[in-house]
Amino acid sequence: MFVLRRLGGALPTLFAVSLLVFLFVDLIPGDPAQILAGPSASNEEVASIRKFLGLDEPLPTRYGHFIRGIWDPSAATSFRTHRPVVVELAERLPNTLIVSIGGLLIGVALGTLAGIVSAMRPGGLADAAITVLTLAGISMPIYWLGLLCIWLFAVNLGWLPAAGASTPAHFVLPILVIATRPAAMFSRLVAASLTETMGKDYLDTARAKGLSETRVVLAHALRNSLVAAVSVAGVQFGGMLGGSVVTETVFGIPGVGRLLVDAVSRADYPIIQYTILMFAVFFVVINLVTDLLTQWLDPRTREQERPA
Amino acid sequence: MPSLRHSCTAAALAAGISLFSFQAFAEPAGVLRVAVGADPATFDPAFNDLPVGNAVDLAVLEGLFRLDPQNNVQKTLATDSSFSPDGKIFTVKIKTGKTFSNGDPLNAEAVAASFNRMLDEKTGSIYRGLYASLGTVKAVGEDTVEFHMAEPNGHVLMLLASTAASIVDVKAVQRMGAEYGRKPVGSGPYMVERFVGGEGFRLVPNPRYAGDYPATLKAIEFSVVPEDGSRMALMETGAADIVERVPPESIDAINALQDAKVVTPPSMFSINMEMVLRGPLADPRVRKALNMAVDRDGITKGVLGGLGTPSVGMVGPGTQDELRKTFPPIAFDPEGAKKLLAEAGYKPGQLSLSFTCPTGRYIKDVQVCQALAGSFENIGIKATPLVVDRGTWSNVIGMEPDQRKDNMGMVGRATAGMDYTLYRLFYTGVGANRTGYSNPRVDALLKEGRATTDPAKQKQIYGEVQEIIWKDQPFLFLWYQTQAIGVSNRVQGFAVQPNETLVFDKVTVK
Repeated sequence: MFVLRRLGGALPTLFAVSLLVFLFVDLIPGDPAQILAGPSASNEEVASIRKFLGLDEPLPTRYGHFIRGIWDPSAATSFRTHRPVVVELAERLPNTLIVSIGGLLIGVALGTLAGIVSAMRPGGLADAAITVLTLAGISMPIYWLGLLCIWLFAVNLGWLPAAGASTPAHFVLPILVIATRPAAMFSRLVAASLTETMGKDYLDTARAKGLSETRVVLAHALRNSLVAAVSVAGVQFGGMLGGSVVTETVFGIPGVGRLLVDAVSRADYPIIQYTILMFAVFFVVINLVTDLLTQWLDPRTREQERPA
Repeated sequence: MPSLRHSCTAAALAAGISLFSFQAFAEPAGVLRVAVGADPATFDPAFNDLPVGNAVDLAVLEGLFRLDPQNNVQKTLATDSSFSPDGKIFTVKIKTGKTFSNGDPLNAEAVAASFNRMLDEKTGSIYRGLYASLGTVKAVGEDTVEFHMAEPNGHVLMLLASTAASIVDVKAVQRMGAEYGRKPVGSGPYMVERFVGGEGFRLVPNPRYAGDYPATLKAIEFSVVPEDGSRMALMETGAADIVERVPPESIDAINALQDAKVVTPPSMFSINMEMVLRGPLADPRVRKALNMAVDRDGITKGVLGGLGTPSVGMVGPGTQDELRKTFPPIAFDPEGAKKLLAEAGYKPGQLSLSFTCPTGRYIKDVQVCQALAGSFENIGIKATPLVVDRGTWSNVIGMEPDQRKDNMGMVGRATAGMDYTLYRLFYTGVGANRTGYSNPRVDALLKEGRATTDPAKQKQIYGEVQEIIWKDQPFLFLWYQTQAIGVSNRVQGFAVQPNETLVFDKVTVK
């Protein structure tokens, strides 16, 4: 019920996004017909291509066409490849999801581990090392780190391929590089919230029951610390989809991010519009999943327990 | 590998004991790996606008004619061609018995269908305007194609030799729809086996090919890597045999590799600041002063890292060299430029000019723009470089001259021949003449040049047009770009056309 209501509530948001994305794309500098025709084209040729693309139709008609394309793939085709946008996206999306989800999972796992280690021995050598790495991870631009990793692991050591996406080995570097940011965020977050939780009375109760320290941390303290972490993970995942533009360019991965960048530079309106709309749907779903996870971790946030 | 060695030995033996050449027996061998910077959206020649797409079309499709690596026209499917006495019908005889890679017959009807598809408004081809003069195309029997020209055009061979005029299998287009753009069906030596959007594509020999350039390679594997650094890393790790577009700063690093080097063939890309001919730039003295203010040698060496040759004519090398005329380079003379400005009535600081440059469209375009601003300041002009994104740039340079707010725009021209380039840029009032240039003599010559089919007459006409343009200076002439391609030593027989199309006709790998 909650899920349905939340999804229903997202409809106005998505409608607003569709309208904004449609109108803003029109504001992108560059006329698609002019760009397709090239700098040597005459006015008449540009006008003929504009007519072919349907760009000479009035705005409401074009918006109607755009909305129809959501369920009718033949109404939504790329200006450049003439293939349905859904086909273009379906081809690229798996690569983006492998890198983003893989990066997020590895980042969260590493970050949580590092956070626990830091919190167990605050001020120790491990804590200091993790703090330094964390700061580096947060402040290092992915773009630069990516090129450094290519230089070290591909060019110098020759362990991994430099760019592309044809084998699983191609995904190792990008996933590790993109994992640095969530790893760093999570280690700070988990460490801070564990340190705060560690002093709480209920942990002393748990210890008094005779539970081992590890059990206390993992089963009792960590669960409470994760509540905040989950919402951060949601935001991070969203950010990763946006950041895929950079990662995919550096590592030559054919994902949605690069599709979008290419589409913007070539003014391929349908690709831009539907890709952004798809990202908006993703954000709605991510928010929903984050909320569900939070509710599972923290019963206080469940709504049936709220006073009416 | 044993099979490869075996086939090589067999071939060598055959060559040794027979009178036939080695080539005739050579089996396709080896895999060539090419890393390209641009992501081809489609190989459909009606829509492709990238050199990498041209390279694939040249390998996968055939035209009636084609260009060799020096941009000379050669016959491919055509065996003979002639104009009717009134120049209104152009007749081409074609080879018979050919088929497309899927077995569909490639006869006169198929050739006519391919052209008529491109010329059909409903197809939406970006080349329809360029080819509009072909009029309607008719098949006569199995081996004759007639072009009923919309207007006389003495440059029809140049048009037909471009990869945009490659013959597509229209039946396959109808069956496949937009997928045809990924796996085009043609009659060339190779065919596209696999295409993964944004990642790469693979060409393999076409078993049905019959022609002069049989496949020499077992496969050509392309990977698309837009990031310069990552693409160069593929060359450094030995994961690519050919890398396209080596940036100037990476040339030394690639040349330092043991088993690869950078080749720098000339490009027909002519880079210029195209002026809007009104206000101060309507005065030829100001245009001349601007042309004298630029140190082309210094900028091509210092900014472009050597990837440029100062212009000696508006059109670049390889634009129909038999019609091309070159002139002595314009001398760098800031003092003379100042004097000219003074003569034109501008004291230092009185003249302000703005100019529009794209970002990432041409080699080091942004830096070049800054360098040019410096050159103009140097002769007392207040210069405002407007560096914009590519979308905005394409809008600005596509405007009518009277709508333009700036004075000049940086544009590179690399086009399908002399008539196309000069007619579009300099004929009065043509929809692609963005400078507002108008010269009755040039108009008359361009009209005459288009209609004439006599090469000697064409040479004389276009020689005069090029001379007038070079003297009138509607452009601030800059340089021709130089290509830079990293090639591994295991690659042999590799060639590049001046329009940046990679040619794999005779490539072998060790």
